[in-house]
Amino acid sequence: MPWINKGTLERILHEFEGVRAFEGKHLRGFEVSKDRLKGFLRFLRDKERFVHFIDHTVIDFPESENRFQGVYILYNPEQNERVIVKSWAEGGSLPTVEDIWAGAKWAEREAYDMFGVIYDGHDNLKRMFMWEGYEHFPLRKDFPIQGIPEEELPSITEIMNGRTDPPSHDFELVHTKVPTLEDIERTEKERLRKKAQLVLNWGPLHPGTHGTIWFLFDLEGESVLQSDVILGQLHRGMEKIAENLYYFQFLPYTDRMDYISAICNELSYVSAVEKLLEIEVPEKARYIRTMFAELQRINSHLLWLGTGALDLGALTVFLYCFREREKIMDIIEGNAGFRLTSAFLRIGGVHYDLAEGTLDVVKAFVKDFVNKLKEYHTLLTRNRIWLRRTKEVGIITREDVYNYGLSGPVARASGVAYDLRRLEPYAAYDELDFDIPVGEVGDVYDRYLVRMEEMAQSVRIIEQCVEKLEKMPKDAPYINKSHPAVIPPKEDVFMSLEDMVQSFRVVVHGESAPAEEVFVSAENPRGELGFYIYSKGGGRPYRLRIRSGALYNLSIFPKLIQGRTIADAIALLGSLDPVVGETDR
Amino acid sequence: MAEFGIALIATLIKVGVLVGVVLGVSAYLTWFERKLAGHIQARLGPNVVGPFGLLQPLADAIKLATKEPIVPKGADVPVFYLAIAMALVPSLLLFSVIPFGPEFTLFGKEIKPLISDVNIGILIVFAMGSLAVYGTIFSGWASNSKYAFIGSLRKASVIIAYEVVLGFAVLGVILLAGTISTVEIVESQIKSGVWYILYQPVAFVLFLFCMLAESGRVPFDIQEAEAELVTGYNVEYGGMKFGAFPLAEWYLNVIALSAIAVILFFGGWSGPAIFGAFSPYIWFLLKTFSLVFFVLWLHWTLPRFQAKDITEIAWKIMLPLALANLIVTAVVVYVLGGK
Repeated sequence: MPWINKGTLERILHEFEGVRAFEGKHLRGFEVSKDRLKGFLRFLRDKERFVHFIDHTVIDFPESENRFQGVYILYNPEQNERVIVKSWAEGGSLPTVEDIWAGAKWAEREAYDMFGVIYDGHDNLKRMFMWEGYEHFPLRKDFPIQGIPEEELPSITEIMNGRTDPPSHDFELVHTKVPTLEDIERTEKERLRKKAQLVLNWGPLHPGTHGTIWFLFDLEGESVLQSDVILGQLHRGMEKIAENLYYFQFLPYTDRMDYISAICNELSYVSAVEKLLEIEVPEKARYIRTMFAELQRINSHLLWLGTGALDLGALTVFLYCFREREKIMDIIEGNAGFRLTSAFLRIGGVHYDLAEGTLDVVKAFVKDFVNKLKEYHTLLTRNRIWLRRTKEVGIITREDVYNYGLSGPVARASGVAYDLRRLEPYAAYDELDFDIPVGEVGDVYDRYLVRMEEMAQSVRIIEQCVEKLEKMPKDAPYINKSHPAVIPPKEDVFMSLEDMVQSFRVVVHGESAPAEEVFVSAENPRGELGFYIYSKGGGRPYRLRIRSGALYNLSIFPKLIQGRTIADAIALLGSLDPVVGETDR
Repeated sequence: MAEFGIALIATLIKVGVLVGVVLGVSAYLTWFERKLAGHIQARLGPNVVGPFGLLQPLADAIKLATKEPIVPKGADVPVFYLAIAMALVPSLLLFSVIPFGPEFTLFGKEIKPLISDVNIGILIVFAMGSLAVYGTIFSGWASNSKYAFIGSLRKASVIIAYEVVLGFAVLGVILLAGTISTVEIVESQIKSGVWYILYQPVAFVLFLFCMLAESGRVPFDIQEAEAELVTGYNVEYGGMKFGAFPLAEWYLNVIALSAIAVILFFGGWSGPAIFGAFSPYIWFLLKTFSLVFFVLWLHWTLPRFQAKDITEIAWKIMLPLALANLIVTAVVVYVLGGK
């Protein structure tokens, strides 16, 4: 996806005073002072039609005078252009933009939680992932990666038998603080402004939440007056970890974000790093990536379909979906060696060449899957109970899509054809023929139909990939090892001196990236997964921001559930399809 | 006095046989349901304990019986236990008015294969159906849990709505038969040679819906909706206490109401005598379990309604239908001279 074109950039500089243009090799945008920020963003939205909110984050520069720099990424759907806006948080605070884009609400809370930047005028500036009362800000550069040891956590043996000398365990007894029950209770009490009789705790461990999300429902009878979402039960500080690892080392961590579509995450991350390092990917690798990403998409959508139907009481669809998922898992396992968190892609290519017979298996699967898809349709699509549960539930308007920064099937079901595979083709998507299904109403049923059709389109893509891969010579390269930042495949490392040296160099010293910024995103089953990498050179990113589609998609949930029943909540949550690994990171 | 004694012994024997058989059958219905679900869902079902997993119900019972009994903090303890009784007893009492076959003579005594041949059999069915809701409400109230509470509220609203529909649906059959004794309804069907489902198809469909709603089966299983309420009203019960609720609701109730549906609409034990002396019993059980099978089949196929939809359907669609059916039946019966 191109960044704002030079003509518009010049014009805006002319029209809006006190704005400086800012140009990197891979992105383009503006820098604006804090007091003019809000006016400028509003101007960009209203006059220049950068209506779609993509992301907001903060970068910490401890040596700089103002320390924190806010970064906003916006999208103009009419011109298909992105723009990046930066502003220094003078005095440690930024104005809130939640009244311009409601989606900024959670992004700002996250930035507050992680950096301690205050957002003036924010109506609910609470911690996003950490608990209330936690006094540190983990993504600041002065927060050590191992955490701040301040609390003693003895082992069970020691609680039972007392301290022994020598100690019964050799691990550190002093740990980073963990929330106590009182902390959690306080967190809960501070979130919801109670209006009705009954507050229902829905989660953190609840079969309807598909992971460890914690919902608070303020109930009047069965209808929800208001609700709040408490995230962070699966927060692992991925962005902090990324800052302390070489680029190639972070790849397996991306698997553990949206663990249901690991290869799609990897593809997004790898695309970002390859853009930063300017690595060409061989054609074969691109097609293998595309094929596996689409298999993974089917896999992920099947899980969504199965669990979504299970939530609405259709127990059998769940197992039918898992039957097909198993086959995809086997294909992935046969090639990557792992089923769930596969770590199959590599910077510059893929880890292994296609295993023997893969294409035949994939062909057989795809042929069979079309019939299975029909079976799912027979079970649900025209079922009156299914229609009653999903039609007219949780309608998302186009404005809300832009406003909340929604993406993926959730955006497309509302009629916004925002599909990055088409708008910003990565891997081999620009050479493939596929359609983008778009909904009309934007209710749960439309999201269901869009996802079902996406599976059919994925089948088409896979068929084309198989056709293309079959024609390729068997010894075509599957990783671009000529680039100095790429680790050559293991069999070459063991056999040739140059490759061994290159492998050593990358593994020991990292990739030595140029000092650039890049924001690359890919179309994940759960929406746009973007990686914003700020590099100061060297093998590690200075700041790596993960733009999670699932988090933004989930952020509209409290609005949609207002005035509806708990039974709608599960239908709605199922249709938004968040995965906590990605929302919390 | 001697007569009373003999009648008492006969009844006690009948009760003993019935309770034993019904509980045993319910236990094995769990096995059957799991096998059926396995078949529907392309998996195996229980197959480890015993041949074909046949000892699985026994293993489950042992497991449930040996679990630690837990009463939640803040629970209303007497009501907490009373709820189990209130769930089990009405569904067992439902069987007291079900005739399994015609009268037969044993040791020179006329014996009816039902526990009490009262002339208000159907009324008892209604009464027990309404009483069963107390089990759910008590358990929801006494558990001191919001999930259980919401689940029991849902169940209460469903029962209230569907009891009304059920009553009006069955009235059509009662008009045709001219009696509310279960035995006589069957006999009048045998006499006229026509099963009432032919005269009352609408009533049968309504009855089927009510049956699903009362027994809390999909698509009406909102009170336990595991994804929303984590099994709802019985969430705080553990061990055999937990086992009692599905046993009563999902199995005893389903069997009993299926049997009653057979009595009302499928001519009870009537059928060609191709199985020799036991023919009526076999026919009765065959019909009953066909219906039970149908209920299980629905359970593993359909999604679930929303709570407000269920009551809405009952009050806005099914009740007018039942009333219309009743009026049409009444007029036709009156015009044709009735009975």
